[in-house]
Amino acid sequence: MNILTIEDLGVTFSTETGDVPAVRGVSLHVRPGETLALVGESGSGKSTVALAAMGLLPGTARASGRVAVDGTEIVGASEASLARLRGRTASMVFQEPATALDPLTRVGAQIAEVVRNHRDVSRSEAAREAVELLRRVGIPEPERRASAFPFQLSGGQRQRVVIAMAIANSPGLLIADEPTTALDVTVQAEILDLLRRLAADSGTGVLLVTHNMGVVADFADRVAVMLRGEVVETGPVEDVLLRPEHAYTRGLLAAVPRLRFSGEDAPPAEEPPVVRLRDVSVRFGRVQALDGVFLDVRPGETVGLVGESGSGKSTAARVALGLVAPASGSVSLFGADLGRVRGRKRRALLSGVGVVLQDPVASLDARMSVAECVAEPLRVHRRGMSGAERRDRVAKVLELVRLPRELAGRGPRELSGGQRQRVSLARALVLEPRLLVADEPTSALDVSVQRTVLEVIAELQRELGFACLFVSHDLAVVQEFAQRVVVMRDGRVEEQGPTMATLLRPETEYTRRLIAAVPVPDPVVQRRRRAEQQAEVTA
Amino acid sequence: MDTVLYLVRRLLQALAVILIVTIVVFCLLHALPGGPARGILGPQATAGQIAAFNHEQGLDRSLPVQYVLYLRELVQGDLGTSYTLNEAVSRLIEQRLPKTLVLTVLSAMVGLVLAVPLGMWQAVRRNKPTDYVITTLSFVAYSTPVYFLGLLLILLFTQTLRWFPSQAPQGDTLGQVLADPAGLVLPVVTGAASMVAVFSRYMRGATLENLSEDYVRTARAGGAGQYAVLFRHVFRNSLTPVVAMLGYYVPVLFGGALVVEQLFNYPGMGLLFWSAAQSSDYPVLLGCVLVISVATVVGTLLADVVQRVVDPRVREGRA
Repeated sequence: MNILTIEDLGVTFSTETGDVPAVRGVSLHVRPGETLALVGESGSGKSTVALAAMGLLPGTARASGRVAVDGTEIVGASEASLARLRGRTASMVFQEPATALDPLTRVGAQIAEVVRNHRDVSRSEAAREAVELLRRVGIPEPERRASAFPFQLSGGQRQRVVIAMAIANSPGLLIADEPTTALDVTVQAEILDLLRRLAADSGTGVLLVTHNMGVVADFADRVAVMLRGEVVETGPVEDVLLRPEHAYTRGLLAAVPRLRFSGEDAPPAEEPPVVRLRDVSVRFGRVQALDGVFLDVRPGETVGLVGESGSGKSTAARVALGLVAPASGSVSLFGADLGRVRGRKRRALLSGVGVVLQDPVASLDARMSVAECVAEPLRVHRRGMSGAERRDRVAKVLELVRLPRELAGRGPRELSGGQRQRVSLARALVLEPRLLVADEPTSALDVSVQRTVLEVIAELQRELGFACLFVSHDLAVVQEFAQRVVVMRDGRVEEQGPTMATLLRPETEYTRRLIAAVPVPDPVVQRRRRAEQQAEVTA
Repeated sequence: MDTVLYLVRRLLQALAVILIVTIVVFCLLHALPGGPARGILGPQATAGQIAAFNHEQGLDRSLPVQYVLYLRELVQGDLGTSYTLNEAVSRLIEQRLPKTLVLTVLSAMVGLVLAVPLGMWQAVRRNKPTDYVITTLSFVAYSTPVYFLGLLLILLFTQTLRWFPSQAPQGDTLGQVLADPAGLVLPVVTGAASMVAVFSRYMRGATLENLSEDYVRTARAGGAGQYAVLFRHVFRNSLTPVVAMLGYYVPVLFGGALVVEQLFNYPGMGLLFWSAAQSSDYPVLLGCVLVISVATVVGTLLADVVQRVVDPRVREGRA
């Protein structure tokens, strides 16, 4: 019997502008012990299906059809009967471990609460079980950690706590909604291993919601692909990922950046660097953010700055932008010492650097039109420019990033994520910079959109010849777009060199681990890689 | 961070704030035209008498010298002598302050005890009739001037219903005041009204914000019912920002006492302040402002300390 059965599920959200259907006619099932991956891009309705299965849809949503967890009907069930089911028969792990736990309650108590929600055990017994669960999910020193508050744990450890809560009552169904999206790749690999082991141990069925095809290949038995609220393709993981039938699935898979395991490097650029960091150190209070960093970016090349969160890659980019002054070391920008240039000269120097940041919603002023956003750098740095010239320049650069002319008068919020990021790019390029600093420019975007934005950047780089410092956590993207790569760890440069040489034959153990942790979207290859890694670990 | 170190630093900050307040008030008072002599000696006083008074009180010396002299006495615990009441200011404050404290602390307690559950209830019943009714009442309570609300209450409860006396307890000692709880009801309710209005709004907002947090969804996914979520998690998380606001509300409470004490003829700090302001009684005015600023600084300090106790993130300097 299925642990989860969904038949003809429809979910509609009532909004101020009327009803919006989010999910239509979705049917799927999860058997005990198997993992079904529900994949799709943002807005496809995959998270809504997951929430519907837990009966956790928000009050504005209306569900129709049938959802049964272990034979119990969810649609239309009372809040009390749902509460009896949640955390016992079906559990859920969420995307954002930073906010998923009550900040004022110790993690042990939060786990014990789930135990006591469903079983009549004493406080001390529940506390003992909480410690045991922390041990099972691989938290070191569980007795001590049980009395930690969430903010005292790392992101990966918090996610382990959430998983401990989810398995506290040995549920038959585990729903994981992007459980590793907010985590670094090495932590992602550990969490996926943990989930796989827990599911195998207890025969739990898993519904895995994700946008990451690598994670799907690594973890899932079967896959259901969602597009605009409907399931367009479903089948075993090998079939869907290797022999997709639906055009959408094929397009989606084609857009996924893949780590390649062979390739040659182009000859290195020889010209003097546009930006050079020499022995740069930066401290933020007690934190050593950068520690003796050397970094060059030469004209026309793209340098990929990779590393896990907290490695200092964004700080290094901000030093290159002149936003953070190093405590020691020097930064030269276009041959001038950035630490010595002041006032107007410094402004002129920095106007040669364009920047694109991760979140296009937060980095564009919502009260300005697209044209105004793009024109702003001209108002600051090209004061003599006439209004007509400015409009002309803005129109030209919007065309460069392939934004339709009619969008110029809109506000940033009226655009899609990819369009917004192209506005950021137009704004960065309007002064014809010699250096573009891009800090995770596509991390907030869906893969298909990511591909277009990255292609626009690469094409314009060939056309305009600017250098690019490209900060990213995604090794596959960096491999595809950067000629050189700099691997950072704990504020230091772990290693750097030509992209292919560095990623195919890494010299340090850390880089090797980083590459090994990236799941590739091919279930056969990924299974082999995992087996190799486990053999290595046991050897 | 080390708690002792934190407390020492905060106390030093508090002292600095109080010092700055005394300087500002001192300058402002002395910048006022007229001066106290005319008011005290009456319209018939000659210029010679006024000069003699000013000389006697040290008012003819330069402002910085006056301030330093004042400060020197302040450090010794001497707040000076009232021009009009012929009594040491410290003695006056000693008599009046406990009464005002009774009034304000009771008002604050009653206010909070009503506001917190009201705010939570509104949040749970968001955009339903309960929410609308309480919201409307809050705005009415908040926008009604304290003296007008007090008069309404007097009219209703002493004239029409005859439930409570229209005068606050008149006893001189704290014991006598507390022995007449019926007399305290109307002053306390008058003082608490705006507090209920303001803090129920805070609490409603904080609760709503917390109800939409991810951790609420996690708790529900673990099988917690609506009330368990509300009282085990949301309540505490919502209360911390509200507690933080409490410290900043101390001067408002004292300001309210000024009016309430007038209305109910309750001789506390408010009445003292009022009559001192009428007669330019500098030492008393300065003393009162000093007390209020100390109370404010202590209030915010207490609020911060409570936050440190409740929220571990504040304790470790993470929030």
